[in-house]
Amino acid sequence: MDIPVSIQPSGPGIRAGMDRPSGGGGGRCAPTPFVAATEAPCCAYTPESRIERLSEGSDAIAGSAARMKKADDAQRLERSRIRAHLMQRLQQGDADSCRLLLDDVGPAVTRFLRGRVASDEVEDVYQEIFMALFQARHTYEAGRPLEPWLFAIARNVAADHSRKRWTRASWEELTPDLPERAAGDSPAAPPDIEGLLTRLPAAQREAFAMLKLDGMSLEDAAGRAGVSVGALKVRAHRAYKALRKLIGGEGEGA
Amino acid sequence: MTHAERHRVLVEALAGTIKPVRPLWPVRARLGLWLLLEALVLVWAATHTGNDFMRKFGHLDYALEVALFAAAATLAAMLALRLAIPGRRAGPTEVALSVVLALVGIALVAIGEPMRTGYSLGEFLSVGVGCAIETCLLAALPWIALWWAVKRGAPMRGAAAGASTGAAALLFAFALMRIKCPIDDPLHILTWHLMPVLVITALSALAGAAWLRFRPRGGGGESRT
Repeated sequence: MDIPVSIQPSGPGIRAGMDRPSGGGGGRCAPTPFVAATEAPCCAYTPESRIERLSEGSDAIAGSAARMKKADDAQRLERSRIRAHLMQRLQQGDADSCRLLLDDVGPAVTRFLRGRVASDEVEDVYQEIFMALFQARHTYEAGRPLEPWLFAIARNVAADHSRKRWTRASWEELTPDLPERAAGDSPAAPPDIEGLLTRLPAAQREAFAMLKLDGMSLEDAAGRAGVSVGALKVRAHRAYKALRKLIGGEGEGA
Repeated sequence: MTHAERHRVLVEALAGTIKPVRPLWPVRARLGLWLLLEALVLVWAATHTGNDFMRKFGHLDYALEVALFAAAATLAAMLALRLAIPGRRAGPTEVALSVVLALVGIALVAIGEPMRTGYSLGEFLSVGVGCAIETCLLAALPWIALWWAVKRGAPMRGAAAGASTGAAALLFAFALMRIKCPIDDPLHILTWHLMPVLVITALSALAGAAWLRFRPRGGGGESRT
Protein backbone atom coordinates (compact mmCIF):
# COMPACT_ATOMS: atom_id res chain seq x y z
CA MET A 1 0.00 0.00 0.00
CA ASP A 2 1.27 3.43 -0.87
CA ILE A 3 1.28 5.48 2.28
CA PRO A 4 2.11 9.15 1.80
CA VAL A 5 4.16 10.40 4.73
CA SER A 6 5.21 13.95 5.42
CA ILE A 7 8.97 14.33 5.39
CA GLN A 8 9.01 17.96 4.43
CA PRO A 9 11.87 19.76 6.11
CA SER A 10 10.11 23.10 5.88
CA GLY A 11 6.72 23.98 7.30
CA PRO A 12 5.11 22.69 10.41
CA GLY A 13 6.19 19.27 11.53
CA ILE A 14 6.53 17.27 14.71
CA ARG A 15 8.65 19.41 16.95
CA ALA A 16 11.42 18.17 19.14
CA GLY A 17 11.13 19.24 22.75
CA MET A 18 7.43 18.56 23.03
CA ASP A 19 6.14 16.90 26.15
CA ARG A 20 7.15 13.32 25.97
CA PRO A 21 4.14 11.10 25.40
CA SER A 22 3.08 9.18 28.44
CA GLY A 23 0.52 6.49 29.15
CA GLY A 24 -1.62 4.55 26.68
CA GLY A 25 0.91 2.92 24.41
CA GLY A 26 3.93 4.65 25.93
CA GLY A 27 5.77 1.36 25.99
CA ARG A 28 5.64 1.26 22.22
CA CYS A 29 7.07 4.74 21.85
CA ALA A 30 10.28 4.79 23.84
CA PRO A 31 11.82 8.19 24.71
CA THR A 32 15.12 7.80 22.87
CA PRO A 33 13.84 6.90 19.41
CA PHE A 34 11.09 9.47 19.82
CA VAL A 35 13.56 12.31 20.30
CA ALA A 36 15.94 10.85 17.76
CA ALA A 37 13.24 10.63 15.15
CA THR A 38 12.13 14.18 15.69
CA GLU A 39 15.57 15.77 15.83
CA ALA A 40 18.53 14.50 13.90
CA PRO A 41 17.52 12.33 10.94
CA CYS A 42 14.31 14.15 10.14
CA CYS A 43 15.91 17.59 9.98
CA ALA A 44 19.13 16.45 8.34
CA TYR A 45 17.33 14.75 5.53
CA THR A 46 16.02 16.68 2.59
CA PRO A 47 15.19 15.57 -0.92
CA GLU A 48 17.77 18.07 -2.21
CA SER A 49 20.55 16.67 -0.04
CA ARG A 50 19.76 13.22 -1.30
CA ILE A 51 20.09 14.39 -4.89
CA GLU A 52 23.45 16.02 -4.11
CA ARG A 53 24.72 12.91 -2.46
CA LEU A 54 23.56 10.76 -5.33
CA SER A 55 25.48 12.87 -7.80
CA GLU A 56 28.79 12.55 -5.95
CA GLY A 57 29.88 9.43 -7.69
CA SER A 58 28.42 6.46 -9.42
CA ASP A 59 30.37 3.98 -7.28
CA ALA A 60 28.77 5.23 -4.13
CA ILE A 61 25.29 5.32 -5.56
CA ALA A 62 24.28 1.75 -4.93
CA GLY A 63 25.51 1.67 -1.34
CA SER A 64 24.25 5.07 -0.35
CA ALA A 65 20.89 4.55 -2.02
CA ALA A 66 20.40 1.35 -0.07
CA ARG A 67 21.45 3.04 3.15
CA MET A 68 19.16 5.97 2.52
CA LYS A 69 16.26 3.71 1.71
CA LYS A 70 16.82 1.90 4.97
CA ALA A 71 17.01 5.19 6.89
CA ASP A 72 13.98 6.44 5.01
CA ASP A 73 11.96 3.38 5.99
CA ALA A 74 13.06 3.63 9.60
CA GLN A 75 12.11 7.30 9.72
CA ARG A 76 8.78 6.64 8.13
CA LEU A 77 8.05 3.87 10.60
CA GLU A 78 9.07 5.99 13.56
CA ARG A 79 7.07 8.95 12.35
CA SER A 80 4.05 6.74 11.81
CA ARG A 81 4.39 5.46 15.38
CA ILE A 82 4.59 8.97 16.73
CA ARG A 83 1.56 10.03 14.76
CA ALA A 84 -0.37 7.02 15.99
CA HIS A 85 0.60 7.88 19.54
CA LEU A 86 -0.44 11.51 19.11
CA MET A 87 -3.75 10.35 17.69
CA GLN A 88 -4.39 8.25 20.77
CA ARG A 89 -3.69 11.30 22.94
CA LEU A 90 -5.98 13.35 20.72
CA GLN A 91 -8.75 10.83 21.33
CA GLN A 92 -8.21 11.37 25.04
CA GLY A 93 -8.83 15.08 24.56
CA ASP A 94 -5.24 16.36 24.64
CA ALA A 95 -5.20 19.71 22.82
CA ASP A 96 -1.39 19.84 22.50
CA SER A 97 -1.29 16.47 20.78
CA CYS A 98 -4.08 17.69 18.52
CA ARG A 99 -1.99 20.73 17.50
CA LEU A 100 1.16 18.65 16.99
CA LEU A 101 -0.57 16.02 14.93
CA LEU A 102 -2.53 18.40 12.72
CA ASP A 103 0.59 20.52 12.17
CA ASP A 104 2.47 17.41 11.17
CA VAL A 105 -0.10 16.01 8.75
CA GLY A 106 -0.94 19.41 7.23
CA PRO A 107 1.78 19.39 4.52
CA ALA A 108 0.98 15.80 3.59
CA VAL A 109 -2.71 16.65 3.22
CA THR A 110 -1.84 19.68 1.06
CA ARG A 111 0.34 17.52 -1.19
CA PHE A 112 -2.42 14.94 -1.34
CA LEU A 113 -4.90 17.56 -2.53
CA ARG A 114 -2.72 19.01 -5.27
CA GLY A 115 -3.81 17.49 -8.53
CA ARG A 116 -6.99 16.15 -6.98
CA VAL A 117 -8.89 19.41 -6.59
CA ALA A 118 -8.67 22.76 -8.35
CA SER A 119 -5.97 24.97 -6.86
CA ASP A 120 -8.47 27.67 -5.84
CA GLU A 121 -10.44 25.09 -3.87
CA VAL A 122 -7.57 23.45 -2.02
CA GLU A 123 -8.09 25.65 1.05
CA ASP A 124 -11.76 24.77 1.36
CA VAL A 125 -11.19 21.05 0.96
CA TYR A 126 -8.21 21.20 3.32
CA GLN A 127 -10.46 22.69 5.97
CA GLU A 128 -13.18 20.11 5.32
CA ILE A 129 -10.66 17.31 5.66
CA PHE A 130 -9.47 18.58 9.01
CA MET A 131 -13.05 18.90 10.23
CA ALA A 132 -13.75 15.36 9.05
CA LEU A 133 -10.62 14.01 10.74
CA PHE A 134 -11.70 15.68 13.92
CA GLN A 135 -15.25 14.39 13.75
CA ALA A 136 -14.18 10.85 12.91
CA ARG A 137 -11.42 10.71 15.50
CA HIS A 138 -13.25 8.09 17.54
CA THR A 139 -12.94 5.64 14.63
CA TYR A 140 -9.16 5.49 14.70
CA GLU A 141 -8.03 2.13 16.06
CA ALA A 142 -5.12 2.32 18.46
CA GLY A 143 -2.14 0.27 17.39
CA ARG A 144 -2.78 0.68 13.69
CA PRO A 145 -0.87 3.09 11.44
CA LEU A 146 -2.59 6.44 11.17
CA GLU A 147 -1.89 7.14 7.51
CA PRO A 148 -4.37 4.74 5.86
CA TRP A 149 -7.09 6.08 8.17
CA LEU A 150 -6.12 9.68 7.52
CA PHE A 151 -5.90 9.42 3.75
CA ALA A 152 -9.08 7.36 3.46
CA ILE A 153 -10.93 10.27 5.06
CA ALA A 154 -9.06 12.80 2.91
CA ARG A 155 -9.89 10.83 -0.23
CA ASN A 156 -13.54 10.63 0.79
CA VAL A 157 -13.80 14.36 1.40
CA ALA A 158 -11.98 15.20 -1.84
CA ALA A 159 -14.23 12.81 -3.78
CA ASP A 160 -17.33 14.34 -2.19
CA HIS A 161 -16.10 17.77 -3.14
CA SER A 162 -15.41 16.73 -6.73
CA ARG A 163 -18.82 15.11 -6.97
CA LYS A 164 -20.54 18.27 -5.74
CA ARG A 165 -18.52 20.38 -8.12
CA TRP A 166 -19.34 18.09 -11.03
CA THR A 167 -23.05 18.13 -10.15
CA ARG A 168 -22.99 21.92 -9.95
CA ALA A 169 -21.17 22.19 -13.26
CA SER A 170 -23.57 19.81 -14.97
CA TRP A 171 -26.43 22.21 -14.17
CA GLU A 172 -24.64 25.17 -15.61
CA GLU A 173 -25.05 25.72 -19.30
CA LEU A 174 -22.20 27.50 -20.99
CA THR A 175 -23.16 29.55 -24.05
CA PRO A 176 -20.68 31.22 -26.39
CA ASP A 177 -22.85 34.35 -26.77
CA LEU A 178 -25.37 36.08 -24.59
CA PRO A 179 -28.93 35.39 -25.74
CA GLU A 180 -30.29 38.14 -27.91
CA ARG A 181 -32.99 40.39 -26.52
CA ALA A 182 -36.35 40.61 -28.21
CA ALA A 183 -36.76 43.84 -30.21
CA GLY A 184 -39.29 45.41 -27.83
CA ASP A 185 -37.25 44.65 -24.69
CA SER A 186 -35.48 47.39 -22.89
CA PRO A 187 -32.80 46.75 -20.28
CA ALA A 188 -34.46 46.45 -16.89
CA ALA A 189 -34.02 49.59 -14.84
CA PRO A 190 -32.85 49.09 -11.26
CA PRO A 191 -35.82 49.19 -8.90
CA ASP A 192 -36.40 52.32 -6.89
CA ILE A 193 -35.77 50.81 -3.49
CA GLU A 194 -36.32 54.01 -1.55
CA GLY A 195 -39.65 54.58 -3.21
CA LEU A 196 -40.70 51.02 -2.60
CA LEU A 197 -39.65 51.19 1.03
CA THR A 198 -42.12 53.99 1.68
CA ARG A 199 -44.87 51.58 0.75
CA LEU A 200 -43.89 49.12 3.49
CA PRO A 201 -45.26 49.23 7.04
CA ALA A 202 -43.00 51.28 9.34
CA ALA A 203 -41.80 48.31 11.40
CA GLN A 204 -40.78 46.33 8.33
CA ARG A 205 -39.14 49.37 6.73
CA GLU A 206 -37.12 49.98 9.87
CA ALA A 207 -35.99 46.33 10.07
CA PHE A 208 -34.94 46.30 6.42
CA ALA A 209 -33.11 49.63 6.67
CA MET A 210 -31.17 48.66 9.78
CA LEU A 211 -30.11 45.25 8.47
CA LYS A 212 -29.56 45.91 4.79
CA LEU A 213 -28.86 49.62 4.42
CA ASP A 214 -27.09 50.36 7.71
CA GLY A 215 -25.47 46.92 7.88
CA MET A 216 -26.25 46.43 11.55
CA SER A 217 -26.07 43.03 13.23
CA LEU A 218 -29.30 41.27 14.18
CA GLU A 219 -28.64 41.81 17.89
CA ASP A 220 -27.91 45.54 17.52
CA ALA A 221 -30.88 46.08 15.25
CA ALA A 222 -33.18 44.18 17.62
CA GLY A 223 -31.84 46.26 20.53
CA ARG A 224 -32.52 49.50 18.71
CA ALA A 225 -36.01 48.43 17.66
CA GLY A 226 -36.72 47.21 21.19
CA VAL A 227 -37.80 43.74 20.07
CA SER A 228 -36.34 40.25 20.29
CA VAL A 229 -33.97 38.98 17.59
CA GLY A 230 -36.64 36.50 16.47
CA ALA A 231 -39.25 39.23 16.09
CA LEU A 232 -36.83 41.35 14.10
CA LYS A 233 -36.07 38.42 11.82
CA VAL A 234 -39.78 37.99 11.17
CA ARG A 235 -40.17 41.69 10.34
CA ALA A 236 -37.18 41.57 8.01
CA HIS A 237 -38.46 38.43 6.32
CA ARG A 238 -41.84 40.06 5.73
CA ALA A 239 -40.12 43.13 4.35
CA TYR A 240 -38.11 41.00 1.88
CA LYS A 241 -41.27 39.23 0.77
CA ALA A 242 -43.19 42.48 0.32
CA LEU A 243 -40.32 44.07 -1.59
CA ARG A 244 -39.97 41.08 -3.86
CA LYS A 245 -43.67 41.29 -4.60
CA LEU A 246 -43.51 45.02 -5.23
CA ILE A 247 -40.48 44.71 -7.52
CA GLY A 248 -42.14 41.87 -9.41
CA GLY A 249 -45.33 43.93 -9.75
CA GLU A 250 -43.40 46.91 -11.07
CA GLY A 251 -41.56 44.71 -13.54
CA GLU A 252 -44.81 43.35 -14.87
CA GLY A 253 -46.35 46.79 -15.03
CA ALA A 254 -43.41 48.27 -16.94
CA MET B 1 -4.58 35.34 4.94
CA THR B 2 -1.88 32.87 3.99
CA HIS B 3 -2.25 29.10 4.04
CA ALA B 4 -0.14 28.85 7.20
CA GLU B 5 -2.28 31.44 8.98
CA ARG B 6 -5.49 29.72 7.95
CA HIS B 7 -4.05 26.40 9.07
CA ARG B 8 -3.16 27.90 12.47
CA VAL B 9 -6.64 29.37 12.93
CA LEU B 10 -8.23 26.06 11.98
CA VAL B 11 -6.00 23.99 14.25
CA GLU B 12 -6.52 26.35 17.18
CA ALA B 13 -10.29 26.24 16.64
CA LEU B 14 -10.27 22.45 16.64
CA ALA B 15 -7.87 22.15 19.58
CA GLY B 16 -9.98 24.65 21.50
CA THR B 17 -13.11 22.52 21.22
CA ILE B 18 -11.51 19.13 21.72
CA LYS B 19 -13.19 16.68 24.08
CA PRO B 20 -12.27 13.11 24.93
CA VAL B 21 -13.96 10.52 22.78
CA ARG B 22 -14.56 6.87 23.38
CA PRO B 23 -12.86 4.99 20.54
CA LEU B 24 -14.86 2.34 18.75
CA TRP B 25 -14.50 -1.12 20.19
CA PRO B 26 -12.49 -3.50 18.05
CA VAL B 27 -14.32 -5.18 15.19
CA ARG B 28 -14.12 -8.57 16.92
CA ALA B 29 -15.72 -7.27 20.10
CA ARG B 30 -18.57 -5.60 18.22
CA LEU B 31 -19.01 -8.66 16.04
CA GLY B 32 -19.16 -10.79 19.19
CA LEU B 33 -21.93 -8.62 20.61
CA TRP B 34 -23.88 -8.81 17.39
CA LEU B 35 -23.54 -12.60 17.33
CA LEU B 36 -24.78 -12.64 20.90
CA LEU B 37 -27.88 -10.79 19.76
CA GLU B 38 -28.29 -13.27 16.93
CA ALA B 39 -27.95 -16.10 19.44
CA LEU B 40 -30.81 -14.61 21.45
CA VAL B 41 -32.93 -14.43 18.31
CA LEU B 42 -31.96 -18.03 17.58
CA VAL B 43 -33.09 -19.13 21.04
CA TRP B 44 -36.40 -17.34 20.53
CA ALA B 45 -36.85 -18.89 17.07
CA ALA B 46 -35.95 -22.38 18.33
CA THR B 47 -38.45 -22.17 21.18
CA HIS B 48 -41.27 -20.82 19.02
CA THR B 49 -41.44 -23.41 16.28
CA GLY B 50 -43.22 -26.63 15.53
CA ASN B 51 -40.35 -27.73 13.32
CA ASP B 52 -38.43 -30.76 14.54
CA PHE B 53 -35.13 -29.20 13.61
CA MET B 54 -33.08 -31.27 16.06
CA ARG B 55 -33.97 -34.41 14.13
CA LYS B 56 -33.22 -32.66 10.84
CA PHE B 57 -29.76 -31.71 12.07
CA GLY B 58 -28.98 -35.41 11.81
CA HIS B 59 -28.94 -34.91 8.04
CA LEU B 60 -25.63 -33.50 6.88
CA ASP B 61 -27.01 -31.36 4.06
CA TYR B 62 -29.51 -29.65 6.36
CA ALA B 63 -26.87 -28.95 9.02
CA LEU B 64 -24.50 -27.74 6.32
CA GLU B 65 -27.12 -25.41 4.85
CA VAL B 66 -27.74 -23.72 8.19
CA ALA B 67 -24.02 -23.55 8.99
CA LEU B 68 -23.11 -22.12 5.59
CA PHE B 69 -25.71 -19.34 5.80
CA ALA B 70 -24.71 -18.53 9.37
CA ALA B 71 -21.05 -18.39 8.32
CA ALA B 72 -21.81 -16.18 5.32
CA ALA B 73 -23.83 -13.88 7.57
CA THR B 74 -21.03 -13.67 10.14
CA LEU B 75 -18.53 -12.84 7.42
CA ALA B 76 -20.84 -10.17 6.00
CA ALA B 77 -21.29 -8.66 9.46
CA MET B 78 -17.53 -8.57 9.94
CA LEU B 79 -17.11 -6.82 6.59
CA ALA B 80 -19.82 -4.30 7.48
CA LEU B 81 -18.15 -3.46 10.77
CA ARG B 82 -14.79 -3.20 9.08
CA LEU B 83 -16.18 -0.90 6.39
CA ALA B 84 -17.20 1.47 9.17
CA ILE B 85 -13.56 2.25 9.86
CA PRO B 86 -11.77 4.58 7.43
CA GLY B 87 -8.79 2.93 5.79
CA ARG B 88 -10.09 -0.58 6.34
CA ARG B 89 -11.92 -2.23 3.55
CA ALA B 90 -13.59 -5.47 2.64
CA GLY B 91 -11.01 -7.68 1.00
CA PRO B 92 -12.08 -9.27 -2.31
CA THR B 93 -11.28 -12.71 -0.92
CA GLU B 94 -13.58 -12.21 2.04
CA VAL B 95 -16.37 -10.85 -0.12
CA ALA B 96 -15.95 -13.74 -2.54
CA LEU B 97 -15.91 -16.26 0.32
CA SER B 98 -19.11 -14.83 1.75
CA VAL B 99 -20.82 -15.02 -1.64
CA VAL B 100 -19.55 -18.54 -2.29
CA LEU B 101 -20.77 -19.76 1.10
CA ALA B 102 -24.22 -18.35 0.41
CA LEU B 103 -24.27 -19.78 -3.12
CA VAL B 104 -23.26 -23.25 -1.92
CA GLY B 105 -26.00 -23.00 0.70
CA ILE B 106 -28.52 -22.09 -1.98
CA ALA B 107 -27.32 -24.98 -4.15
CA LEU B 108 -27.78 -27.35 -1.23
CA VAL B 109 -31.31 -26.07 -0.72
CA ALA B 110 -32.10 -26.48 -4.40
CA ILE B 111 -30.82 -30.03 -4.71
CA GLY B 112 -31.66 -31.22 -1.20
CA GLU B 113 -35.25 -32.21 -1.84
CA PRO B 114 -37.32 -32.71 -4.98
CA MET B 115 -39.40 -29.64 -5.81
CA ARG B 116 -43.12 -30.01 -5.18
CA THR B 117 -45.39 -28.55 -7.77
CA GLY B 118 -48.72 -29.78 -6.49
CA TYR B 119 -49.55 -26.61 -4.56
CA SER B 120 -52.54 -24.53 -5.33
CA LEU B 121 -51.49 -20.94 -5.98
CA GLY B 122 -53.55 -19.70 -3.06
CA GLU B 123 -51.87 -22.11 -0.65
CA PHE B 124 -48.44 -21.28 -2.02
CA LEU B 125 -49.04 -17.57 -1.55
CA SER B 126 -50.75 -17.64 1.82
CA VAL B 127 -48.10 -19.83 3.42
CA GLY B 128 -45.24 -18.10 1.62
CA VAL B 129 -46.10 -14.51 2.40
CA GLY B 130 -46.16 -15.37 6.09
CA CYS B 131 -42.68 -16.87 5.80
CA ALA B 132 -41.37 -13.83 3.91
CA ILE B 133 -42.71 -11.52 6.59
CA GLU B 134 -41.24 -13.73 9.31
CA THR B 135 -37.84 -13.67 7.59
CA CYS B 136 -37.94 -9.87 7.60
CA LEU B 137 -39.04 -9.75 11.23
CA LEU B 138 -36.27 -12.09 12.33
CA ALA B 139 -33.78 -9.86 10.53
CA ALA B 140 -35.17 -6.56 11.79
CA LEU B 141 -33.53 -6.29 15.19
CA PRO B 142 -30.08 -7.56 14.08
CA TRP B 143 -30.25 -5.26 11.05
CA ILE B 144 -31.03 -2.22 13.20
CA ALA B 145 -28.27 -3.14 15.66
CA LEU B 146 -25.70 -3.66 12.92
CA TRP B 147 -26.76 -0.50 11.07
CA TRP B 148 -26.34 1.47 14.28
CA ALA B 149 -22.92 -0.10 14.92
CA VAL B 150 -21.78 0.74 11.40
CA LYS B 151 -23.25 4.22 11.50
CA ARG B 152 -21.38 4.88 14.72
CA GLY B 153 -18.18 4.57 12.72
CA ALA B 154 -17.38 6.52 9.59
CA PRO B 155 -18.11 4.32 6.56
CA MET B 156 -16.53 5.70 3.42
CA ARG B 157 -18.48 3.44 1.08
CA GLY B 158 -22.10 3.70 2.10
CA ALA B 159 -23.56 1.31 -0.44
CA ALA B 160 -21.08 -1.45 0.37
CA ALA B 161 -21.59 -0.97 4.10
CA GLY B 162 -25.36 -0.99 3.62
CA ALA B 163 -25.25 -4.11 1.46
CA SER B 164 -23.03 -5.94 3.96
CA THR B 165 -25.31 -4.93 6.81
CA GLY B 166 -28.38 -6.13 4.96
CA ALA B 167 -26.71 -9.35 3.83
CA ALA B 168 -25.53 -10.15 7.35
CA ALA B 169 -28.94 -9.67 8.97
CA LEU B 170 -30.92 -11.36 6.20
CA LEU B 171 -28.60 -14.32 5.67
CA PHE B 172 -28.76 -15.03 9.37
CA ALA B 173 -32.53 -14.71 9.23
CA PHE B 174 -32.51 -17.20 6.36
CA ALA B 175 -30.55 -19.66 8.51
CA LEU B 176 -32.98 -19.07 11.39
CA MET B 177 -35.94 -19.64 9.11
CA ARG B 178 -34.51 -23.01 8.13
CA ILE B 179 -34.82 -23.83 11.82
CA LYS B 180 -38.18 -22.20 12.38
CA CYS B 181 -40.06 -23.09 9.22
CA PRO B 182 -41.11 -26.75 8.92
CA ILE B 183 -41.36 -26.62 5.12
CA ASP B 184 -38.36 -28.05 3.30
CA ASP B 185 -39.65 -27.67 -0.22
CA PRO B 186 -36.96 -25.91 -2.31
CA LEU B 187 -39.53 -23.90 -4.27
CA HIS B 188 -40.97 -22.49 -1.04
CA ILE B 189 -37.54 -21.78 0.45
CA LEU B 190 -36.08 -20.18 -2.67
CA THR B 191 -39.16 -18.05 -3.25
CA TRP B 192 -40.26 -17.01 0.20
CA HIS B 193 -37.09 -17.28 2.27
CA LEU B 194 -34.45 -16.28 -0.25
CA MET B 195 -36.26 -13.54 -2.14
CA PRO B 196 -36.62 -11.31 0.94
CA VAL B 197 -32.89 -11.77 1.53
CA LEU B 198 -32.05 -10.49 -1.94
CA VAL B 199 -34.63 -7.70 -1.98
CA ILE B 200 -33.88 -6.34 1.49
CA THR B 201 -30.12 -6.57 0.90
CA ALA B 202 -30.54 -4.50 -2.26
CA LEU B 203 -32.72 -1.98 -0.40
CA SER B 204 -30.18 -1.88 2.40
CA ALA B 205 -27.45 -1.08 -0.13
CA LEU B 206 -29.54 1.80 -1.46
CA ALA B 207 -30.27 3.03 2.05
CA GLY B 208 -26.58 2.77 2.87
CA ALA B 209 -25.63 4.87 -0.14
CA ALA B 210 -28.10 7.52 0.99
CA TRP B 211 -27.70 7.55 4.76
CA LEU B 212 -24.81 5.43 5.91
CA ARG B 213 -21.91 7.14 4.20
CA PHE B 214 -19.82 9.35 6.46
CA ARG B 215 -20.40 13.01 5.73
CA PRO B 216 -18.64 15.49 7.96
CA ARG B 217 -20.92 17.99 9.60
CA GLY B 218 -20.34 21.71 9.23
CA GLY B 219 -19.16 22.33 12.78
CA GLY B 220 -15.96 20.77 14.03
CA GLY B 221 -16.66 20.77 17.72
CA GLU B 222 -18.97 17.80 18.01
CA SER B 223 -17.71 14.67 19.57
CA ARG B 224 -19.08 11.28 20.36
CA THR B 225 -18.24 10.79 23.99
